Amino acid sequence: MDNNRELKKSLGGILYLINTPCIIFPPSIWCLHISSSSSIYPHVLAMVSEKPAMGRRKIKIEKISKKNHLQVTFSKRRAGLFKKASELSTLCGVDIAVIVFSPAQKAFSFGHPDVDSITRRFLSGSPSPPSSGLPQLIETRRNANAHDQNVELTRILDHIEAEKKYGEVLDRMRRADRSRCCWESPIEELELHELEQLRGALEELKKAVAKQVSNILIEPTSSLPFLAVNGGGEGGDFAAKLEIDNASSAALPFNNFGYARKIC
Amino acid sequence: MTRKKVKLAYIYNDSARRATYKKRKKGLMKKVSELSTLCGVDACAIVYSPYDAQPEVWPSPSGVQRVLDRFRTVPQMDQLKKMVNQDGFLRQRITKTCDQLKRQRKDNREKEVTQAMFQCLGGGVSFGQPAHDGLE
Repeated sequence: MDNNRELKKSLGGILYLINTPCIIFPPSIWCLHISSSSSIYPHVLAMVSEKPAMGRRKIKIEKISKKNHLQVTFSKRRAGLFKKASELSTLCGVDIAVIVFSPAQKAFSFGHPDVDSITRRFLSGSPSPPSSGLPQLIETRRNANAHDQNVELTRILDHIEAEKKYGEVLDRMRRADRSRCCWESPIEELELHELEQLRGALEELKKAVAKQVSNILIEPTSSLPFLAVNGGGEGGDFAAKLEIDNASSAALPFNNFGYARKIC
Repeated sequence: MTRKKVKLAYIYNDSARRATYKKRKKGLMKKVSELSTLCGVDACAIVYSPYDAQPEVWPSPSGVQRVLDRFRTVPQMDQLKKMVNQDGFLRQRITKTCDQLKRQRKDNREKEVTQAMFQCLGGGVSFGQPAHDGLE
């Protein structure tokens, strides 16, 4: 059993080293948690299960008793409320103001065109805003800006949708691969001899990758951090990393099925 | 309830716009009410539309008055700290959504690379000469 654990540790190290050239972010994120129940990319799974929209439970509309729960609910619902107000004003072209006080007595407000003009309008009792001259021009300009931003927001939201779908495709492929090849099941499920095989294969692969990388790069390999024994993922030549990133995406046998597009 | 994706733009069709206004205004008022009750906080909403001379409000004109009075006793700097208009709010949303997008792309890249790694291990991809010479 000790053998297994040692092997798993070193496997984890190697997996990390192989993946680091192509994924540039700090090692702290890359904790492989081999002893936990998740598989090779646990933090990706964790992210998937921590989706903000998960867990639709029906709740009673009465004051929440737990303070933490109350504050979290306030944050989320306030954001959602402002989003609805924003959409209402855009879609229907209406003036609107929403004011809420937080459990901590902070004042949050949303207003279109702005909170103060709406409150003034309400307090003075006069129904209609000025509709000629400079105020009108400002209003038109403001609406044009909002429109542009909505266009941009929609564009980004579409991108996310596409990327999410692509992510699901990748997950499906992964599950299909898993059932075919024994290697690809979660590390916990592998026998000792299988783990040893895997480690050997990974070390060979690591050598091949390093060689390929040095073939592709213009600059010499001395500045590449990932070839160090306990590869740190940060520091090192940023330009070299960018090259690796571009090179590896060119070398990968993937098209993204038309889903994900390069953006900004 | 319809689940068609609605474009985030002014609705030019008069009847569609009016129908949307009715539904969404009602929904908005419901959300304000829920927020106020669930979290035990003061809140109000004021909506001016071309359809009514008087604004639609929640909870009631006097309720709004009360909240506004409280709001105006708050020092101006604190009022402004968390005050947003359409422009600022959309900019915040854009930033947040961009970050989410970056994270999603990172996740996908990782998945891609992990799969590529297994393909290599399984002998599916060979490291020969690079496909393109002079990649940059």
